[in-house]
Amino acid sequence: MTLDRAQFSRRGFLGLGVAAGVITLTACGSGAGSDDDPLVMTVWGGETDRATYQKRIDLLVKKYPDLKVKLQLIPSDSYPQKVQTMIAGGKGPDIMQVAENVNVYSSKNQLMPLDDLAKGAGLDLSKRFGPIGSLYSYEDKVYAIPDRSGAMIVYYNKTLFDSKGIKAPTAEWTWDDALDAFKELTAKGKTWGYGGAGWWPQWWSFAYQNGGAIIDADGRPTADSDEVVEALQWAGDLVFKHGVVPTKAQYADMGTDVGGDQAFANGTVAVNATGFWAIAGLTDTKFEWDIAPMWRGEKQAVASFGSGLAISRTAKNPKNAFKAIDFLTSPEAQQQIIATGQDVPANLEVQQSDAFLKPAWMKTPVNMGVFAESSEFLFKAPFIPEWNEMLAAIDTATADFWLGKERSAKTALTALQKNLESIIKSAG
Amino acid sequence: MAMSKQRRREALWFYLFVSPWVIGFLAFLLGPMISSIYLSMTDWDSFTPPKWVGLDNYVKLLTEDPVFWKALGNTLHYAAISVPLGLLVGLWLANLLNKQVRARKLFRTLIYLPTLVPLVAASMAFRVVLAPSGPLNDALGWAGISGPQWLLDPSWVKYALILLSVWSAGSATVLLLAAMKGIPRELYEAAEIDGAGPVRQFWSITVPQLTPVIFFNLVMGLIAAFQVFSQVYILTPKASQPGTYNASQTTVPYLFDQAFSYYHMGYASAISWLLFAVILVFTLLAFRTTRRWVFYETEVK
Repeated sequence: MTLDRAQFSRRGFLGLGVAAGVITLTACGSGAGSDDDPLVMTVWGGETDRATYQKRIDLLVKKYPDLKVKLQLIPSDSYPQKVQTMIAGGKGPDIMQVAENVNVYSSKNQLMPLDDLAKGAGLDLSKRFGPIGSLYSYEDKVYAIPDRSGAMIVYYNKTLFDSKGIKAPTAEWTWDDALDAFKELTAKGKTWGYGGAGWWPQWWSFAYQNGGAIIDADGRPTADSDEVVEALQWAGDLVFKHGVVPTKAQYADMGTDVGGDQAFANGTVAVNATGFWAIAGLTDTKFEWDIAPMWRGEKQAVASFGSGLAISRTAKNPKNAFKAIDFLTSPEAQQQIIATGQDVPANLEVQQSDAFLKPAWMKTPVNMGVFAESSEFLFKAPFIPEWNEMLAAIDTATADFWLGKERSAKTALTALQKNLESIIKSAG
Repeated sequence: MAMSKQRRREALWFYLFVSPWVIGFLAFLLGPMISSIYLSMTDWDSFTPPKWVGLDNYVKLLTEDPVFWKALGNTLHYAAISVPLGLLVGLWLANLLNKQVRARKLFRTLIYLPTLVPLVAASMAFRVVLAPSGPLNDALGWAGISGPQWLLDPSWVKYALILLSVWSAGSATVLLLAAMKGIPRELYEAAEIDGAGPVRQFWSITVPQLTPVIFFNLVMGLIAAFQVFSQVYILTPKASQPGTYNASQTTVPYLFDQAFSYYHMGYASAISWLLFAVILVFTLLAFRTTRRWVFYETEVK
């Protein structure tokens, strides 16, 4: 009996030690480094991403034979955890890809401020990248150089639009114009006008178009302002009042993990707002399609997707790391990003080049100029250090709203505001 | 003298054979455990040095964190249903397999098969099965029942998880079946002579003889239920199903979020120790009751 008891409690310990064990294990992961070691560069993604980054690194090494860069591709799902454990173990990457969660690291003193390095290298961020040059900043210091950056764009089913006699969407469409078109395009139970706006970049775009903001310029949450409430209500009404967007249940019936992107590719939804990546899934559609800039509200605003390259505190040779980043974001290297169809390069010169506007792999003519057009009205999302917690709070607070159980955006956002105020300690 | 020498040799061999485990335990379990006790009393983001906060994390968890209580409540709810249900199903299946039916070897394999399917794969498959117009609801429809939106409706998602837990009742079945085969035939023969029918035989002989194995399954099931993770993580992904994610949030996924999503490593350590305490209490409670219902043959003799 007593032996059994000891064994069972040990079992309990066993499972529970895991969380702590992960850290200890990874701490013993990698060996000691020296000056001759290659720069370690961590990125996330799949095989296209690996190939594209590697091509750019090959170009870099060709130009600077003294630089060695080792690319480490990590699946997107586990990227943050993997990098977290690398850094906690004292073996952080030299160059790391960062995105919305950049200030998780910068606020905890894990990234190197890059202003001086940029100045030393003669790199003018606003010239190379436009207004997003300083996107990855924290407390007035730049912590990452933009690398990939594209606006959220509107995909539309040209065949369906033509058959209904509706003109292509433009940046001058108002919310009413959009709603009218969605209604026309909806055939009950068969097709829907629009893929929906449940994801933060989608409904935030409407909030910013309406003059609202989730977090204001002083870092205080303003999620329950009238402007935000009105925008979310409009987005929710598309689903439950007008029925022009599939509900969660209708999406679940289309298959596992089907969302707007897949439903658009199937021809089930006529309009979908998402990023550049969806193009890859649309090469073999049975219908004609094109892209357009996001429509407008009171003013123009649209979310952007992208990532930057940062240098970690543990980098052995920050100067070399910056030299590498400088080259990787130069037109020569950035061209590879579009040549492989990976993403939108952040470098403006490349975005306006023929290589981008007419990529060799594109089978049908697509209006790629939309990205440059949209870059003029991108809103800057608040990349606060509590980014992940903020998104979780938004998911929680708006869950019933997107299920149609709570029809009032005001109620959902009042709850969200309260949560955000407790999460964002710097507020006030 | 010779005896003692042999004893010493035996002891030496003992330590030699046990050393991999002891070293593993010290390096990979005891060390991390001690450090996690320390970390649970700090504010640590895993990057900057931990800040000592004493018992603040525990106080905050127990008094100010509604999500923790919700997650713990969900975990208890899940354990309270899935563990007994798993045992009942296991007992029922084992009893069926113990009958002299044709092709019972095939049935035995079929029943154990789900246990061999990796949990992650099974969970993915269940997302299709449990879709609002998926196979399960279709089947319910034939019976005239309109099935719930299992994975979308916060009030049903826990039952979807419980359903998935029964999927792997095969391992309990195999253990119970083995124990059933070990019950001496004479007991049944004697009972038959005394005029006991099959039902009476089941309750008066089979079940009491099985109690040690049932008890083992109960304790292991409890521990596994309290630590449920993969099913929750895959069946109700945070990104695409935030509504049900909260309704189905259990303790370990919450711990994972705090540690690896929100970078509150100290807080997460405190959660793990509270969960440990909860599991310990329930396991001890289970042991407390053994005298009343678990029957060990050795104790009779």
